[in-house]
Amino acid sequence: MGDSAASLARRVPPIDPDFALIGHQESWSAAADVLTVLRGPEHTPLPDDEIKDILPWIPPRVVCHVEVGSITGAKVRGIYIDSFIPPDRLEAPYVHENITRVRAAASCAIKAGAKIVSLGGFSSILIEGNFNLLPERQDTVFTTGNSLTVALIVQGIKEMCAREGRNLRKSTLLIVGATGDVGSGCARCLGPIVRRVLLNARNVERLRRLGAELRAEGVEVEIATDLQQFSAEADVVICAASLASPKLRLGRISPDALVCDAGYPKNLSPIAGMPGATVFFGGLGQVTGGMRFTPDFRGVLNRHPFPDVVHGCLLEGMALALEGRFEPFSQGRGCITRERVEEIETIASRHGIHLAPFYNADGPVEDETSMLAGIAEGSVFRVIEKRPWAQMR
Amino acid sequence: MEPLIEVNCAAMECTSLSSGAPIWHDILAQAMTGEVLAAMNYASLSEICDDPAEVADALEHAEGERGHAAAFAAEGRKIGVDVTNNVEAKHWKRLREAFMGCIEQRDFIGCLIVQEIMLESFAVASYSRVGKVAPGSLGETFARIAAEEEDHVEHAMSILRAERARDAQRFDDKVYRLHLDVMTTLAKMLAKECKDGHCEVCHASCVKPSLFEVSLSAAELRGASLQQYLKTLDMLGIPGEVTLAWVTQLPV
Repeated sequence: MGDSAASLARRVPPIDPDFALIGHQESWSAAADVLTVLRGPEHTPLPDDEIKDILPWIPPRVVCHVEVGSITGAKVRGIYIDSFIPPDRLEAPYVHENITRVRAAASCAIKAGAKIVSLGGFSSILIEGNFNLLPERQDTVFTTGNSLTVALIVQGIKEMCAREGRNLRKSTLLIVGATGDVGSGCARCLGPIVRRVLLNARNVERLRRLGAELRAEGVEVEIATDLQQFSAEADVVICAASLASPKLRLGRISPDALVCDAGYPKNLSPIAGMPGATVFFGGLGQVTGGMRFTPDFRGVLNRHPFPDVVHGCLLEGMALALEGRFEPFSQGRGCITRERVEEIETIASRHGIHLAPFYNADGPVEDETSMLAGIAEGSVFRVIEKRPWAQMR
Repeated sequence: MEPLIEVNCAAMECTSLSSGAPIWHDILAQAMTGEVLAAMNYASLSEICDDPAEVADALEHAEGERGHAAAFAAEGRKIGVDVTNNVEAKHWKRLREAFMGCIEQRDFIGCLIVQEIMLESFAVASYSRVGKVAPGSLGETFARIAAEEEDHVEHAMSILRAERARDAQRFDDKVYRLHLDVMTTLAKMLAKECKDGHCEVCHASCVKPSLFEVSLSAAELRGASLQQYLKTLDMLGIPGEVTLAWVTQLPV
């Protein structure tokens, strides 16, 4: 990392990338970390005010190369492209500016010759219903990555319930942001295996349509645009709303609720008082076949307390590239089905991409055995005891 | 200080001095200095060109830049200020020395990189921003000159792209060496505050803290300039991850 940028060009010869990942930073501190790596250890980190002044002017571009291994021995190479959407400009007034940035990032991927492109975070939200907005492409396909995100959220809910001795079949599941691509996918996958589903979103018409679809499959469903109407009744909650910043408060949540925050940026407000609830970040997978960033952005672009953990939306492109399936696996809004989720889950698993160890804002949420395994595998993060959400910062 | 290159402009009627005149005065002085320096650079470039067509081209460019300087001087007269340039001011002098280093080595490509890729990126971006907020003919002049400078860049791009196609690594290393010198100086000029003391172009105190009064800011001019620079390097085909590191390592 201390090498000069000129020699960097020598060390990383141009590649024909199998995949490209388009992302953005969810906070200014995350953006600062990226710029600090780029500046190198010989330069002092940029002051916060300078970062906020400079970052919005950076055109979308490749930030680093990524190599991913499969447990089958296969390897694929890709690039991470940052759209440099400023973390405080994710709100609606900036939507056109941000679509322009995602289009420019997509152009970078196409120009680089990426065979498949995963859209991370808001890139996906901005484009999922508007694939026609992407630039003209020849041999490059785009996927929102939402099918694998849903798969990992569902796996996480099931795993957590099993670990805590909860009976998912007797649970009341609340989905916040239920009509989005990820939220509706979770509803289709989990609806048939829980006792009751509560759907919350802003758009009542979409809620009605999704509710009718689930009822037709025999799922007991209630819908509401007012979250407070539901929160006390749910014992399992998935937060999958498209929020520009962590500001969601669930209100009168059940004291022993299980809460999965699957947002990027995170949905839940750090000051949301939920004493007793078990909170974990969902939609995350871990690459067990090895992953390498050049330059070394490990733990910077993927800021998680475990190694090689990546958001499902980005993992989908990697998994499909390892499988040699260069196809727009997830496209459109509200099109994710159980069958597609199971299919991408199988593909990911075949290449050693599994559900990531659980963690939340305070660190790992693990049983003792897993914690020790995490240390043995070289996790550089502090492993702490499980603590209730109320004690989080 | 007297301009090193004679600037000919027709006498124009002065308008009344607006409240922003001192700010426009300093902005015009910086722009005029840049244009005079560019004219000097092209004149120097003509002396190392072997091809008569290239000589004529460089001299034509020099003349064009002199015309831009004259246009800025004329805009100053309209608001009642006498715009002068100072190519001996510390930062501009350093930029001239960097260019002359290429001249001494008869490095035609290096000259184009310094003038067309680095200095013109700065000019195109900052003039465009000024053109959007400056009133009347002042804004029109900045916008027109920004467009003309962009044409210059286009002309040089084809030569530079062909050069890079011959040996990309060698070309990129050359750009990086020049970047360290020229862009470091430009970054200091574009910093939100002049940390090295007075720039020797502004007439009184530094104009940067006052730019907000004319709907500009030093941060905006720097951001736009660096963005233009990155986009120009992209057009040359230099990998984006490499140029991103270059730019983030510049002083602030």
